[in-house]
Amino acid sequence: MVALRSVDLAVERGEVHGLVGANGAGKSTLVKILSGVLSPDAGVVEVAGRAVRLRSPAHARASGLAPVFQDPAFAPDLTVAENLRLTGTDQRAFRRQVGELGLDGVELAEPAGSLPLPLLRMLDLARVLAHEPSLLLLDEITAALPADYADRVFAAIRQAREEDRSVLFISHRLLEVQEICDRVTVLRDGRNVDTYRTSEPEGFGEPQGGAPTRRAEQRIVASMLGERAALAVTEPRRVARTSHAQPGEPALSVRRLSDGHRVKDISFDLARGEVLGITGLEGQGQDELFAILAGDRKAAGGEIVASGSRLAARHPHDAIRRGLTLVPSDRWQALLPQRSVRENLAIAHYNAPPGWGWINLDRERRRVAEAIDRLSIDTRAQAQARRLSGGNQQKVAIGRWLVGGFTTLLCFDPTRGIDVGTKHQIYDLFRELAAAGRSVLMFTSELREVPLACDRVLVLYDGRIVAELAAADADEATLLGAAHGLAETLTES
Amino acid sequence: MATATATTRALGPAAGRLARRHAWTGAVVAFFFLLLAWNASQTRNFGAFEIQTLLASTLPLAYLAMAQSVVVIGGGIDLSVGAMLVLVNCLSARLMEGTDLGGSLLVAAGCLALSTALGALTGLVITVSRIPDIIVTLAASFVWGGAALFILPTPGGGTSTGFSALVLGSGSAWWPALLCLLVPLLLVWAPLRRSRTGVAIYALGSDRNAAFLSGVNPLRTRVAAYAVDGLLCGLAGLATTAFTVGGSPQSTIAMNATLNSVAAIVLGGVALSGGVGGLIGPVFAVWSLYLIPNIMLGLGVDPSYGEVVKGVVVVLVVLAGGLLRARRERAP
Repeated sequence: MVALRSVDLAVERGEVHGLVGANGAGKSTLVKILSGVLSPDAGVVEVAGRAVRLRSPAHARASGLAPVFQDPAFAPDLTVAENLRLTGTDQRAFRRQVGELGLDGVELAEPAGSLPLPLLRMLDLARVLAHEPSLLLLDEITAALPADYADRVFAAIRQAREEDRSVLFISHRLLEVQEICDRVTVLRDGRNVDTYRTSEPEGFGEPQGGAPTRRAEQRIVASMLGERAALAVTEPRRVARTSHAQPGEPALSVRRLSDGHRVKDISFDLARGEVLGITGLEGQGQDELFAILAGDRKAAGGEIVASGSRLAARHPHDAIRRGLTLVPSDRWQALLPQRSVRENLAIAHYNAPPGWGWINLDRERRRVAEAIDRLSIDTRAQAQARRLSGGNQQKVAIGRWLVGGFTTLLCFDPTRGIDVGTKHQIYDLFRELAAAGRSVLMFTSELREVPLACDRVLVLYDGRIVAELAAADADEATLLGAAHGLAETLTES
Repeated sequence: MATATATTRALGPAAGRLARRHAWTGAVVAFFFLLLAWNASQTRNFGAFEIQTLLASTLPLAYLAMAQSVVVIGGGIDLSVGAMLVLVNCLSARLMEGTDLGGSLLVAAGCLALSTALGALTGLVITVSRIPDIIVTLAASFVWGGAALFILPTPGGGTSTGFSALVLGSGSAWWPALLCLLVPLLLVWAPLRRSRTGVAIYALGSDRNAAFLSGVNPLRTRVAAYAVDGLLCGLAGLATTAFTVGGSPQSTIAMNATLNSVAAIVLGGVALSGGVGGLIGPVFAVWSLYLIPNIMLGLGVDPSYGEVVKGVVVVLVVLAGGLLRARRERAP
């Protein structure tokens, strides 16, 4: 896998430089290289005009490059003070930074693992600042911070700029980037495709249309998408756009669902015969939402109503019995890699054996054969599921529930890493299932497939649904804007 | 949990934290003294001799539990501790035979240097090859066991009486054995625990990625942990030589010792997932496990059931600890 192809980036002294790009554009890989976690195959990193080879995180820190990652680099079983010793951080300098960030009552003798995650992220920032780095690397630091903490981060960034330090600021939230950064670089497919100065609004679009920030967003979205924006329009729509959604009692009804963490307040209905898409950036609560629906995670509040009665699943088995079945994004979470295709397909069927005694092999074989036929699974390598191609593995993961039976199929990114032909087979299958009165709830990170596969789409941002669109209106630019929280902020202002 | 909160309030946050952090060790110590009192009540004239027997006969396993703790805290596991014990036991018994105290001490120093080096080598191989600890140390256990057989094909060898007395005490003098346990604890572990390397060992076991991002050098840290492990295994081997006045290359000794060391650290509050625990708890766990068959003997039960009870105790204690921890995590 090549995450980063060729990036040229210059951050000036005393500059706050924004870095934006869609999922998988290579932002995190770039930060990992700059912080000594990964070493580049080619290219040079220069600090203050001198070429350096960053051997390790400690070496990068010593060279003045200090990262704050989304997951704070604190060993949970050690106290905060011991963690400071690991990085060789001066306790007095750390305390001063903690004070400047306005964090009160931080007890250094407390094990890091007992502190709340947002606070730990702030302490990570304080630790990095205590080293007085020449370049601060902030990777999605605001993604899971409450608003008051985020404001303090911005204050710290401005402070750093005043002290003539540089900041590389990565965020999915374009308004933040626009507000805090001096310049912004857009990454796409591992390359830098655009760099612009936020203080030059005349550089974008038509001079008289809309507010400057709005036009800047349009420019960012356009360069994040690149030619793909055009491609999505020209690609022929193979799927007939007839909705099979049935009025009346929904197959699945979610009311004010929360998990006290990432899922904050989610409500939606999924009609029988409907294919409902959910999309969003990474880490907006979609993993947790699907885990709750599949009975793999406990909800903290709200309720799930499946086929008219309340579902309080304590185990995936409960959800499966009520017809809610999950096809996870990681196929190896679902499949038994060393076992045969037949066994992988039949395993859901074993859930409900007809009483005690032998499994009816004839019936099992018949059902499995039906599923193989219907999904046109390539059975040349059927002795072991791991030898199938990615697309066929995905078909087996879905086919399992055709054999086992379901009312609502929960699919998490069902087409990730699959070739175009198989993708369309999967879309067609979803349409067929919908026509037969089954429902499909699919998360997708690939915005282009929303109009191809879904009847309707919900956009998730920060644990809430911020937009609901009919498939016909769900073009990539609208979705991407909504996914970056623009819909929310626009309705607020 | 209500009582714990009350204590926290009464003692102030610092003391409360201290109590929370060392709760498990405290519980194991209390458990040991409970068993000791029980055992003492069963025995007429319980006194220095019984204590000396307890300390002397558990000394090898106490060292081994300490050795295993260091590695497990660092996020690994060492299945070769028992074999290393046997190797050092055989080597020292063969070389110490017929020497005086001075000669024996010289041999002992050489054996410790060797076991430390072999431990460091194990750590090096694990880190550089990226083969899991459990596999490398399992393989190492075969190598050490084979080498022991090569050095001392049949049980035999010996040591000087002075050496035995120095390590274990003579008659009812129980303090030499205790001193032997305290010396490495105070001279090796205490300074290490306070050094950056010691913190790095805990960090590596707690969260490998966070430790790496914090600038921990995994190679140096793991080599250090395995070197200390090797040193303590060497001490266990020497203690065995002193206790049995000879050497025995049997592989069952090695296997038993390894498995007992794992049981002891689990009972002693070292998390197998790494990053949590200390060296004191496992030592008290070793002593507790030693007392159980004695108490059963006192009760008139066949001591063969001792092993059964030991196993049940380990599972129950760890289960209770896990439940308490889960409740505490749900509480705030």
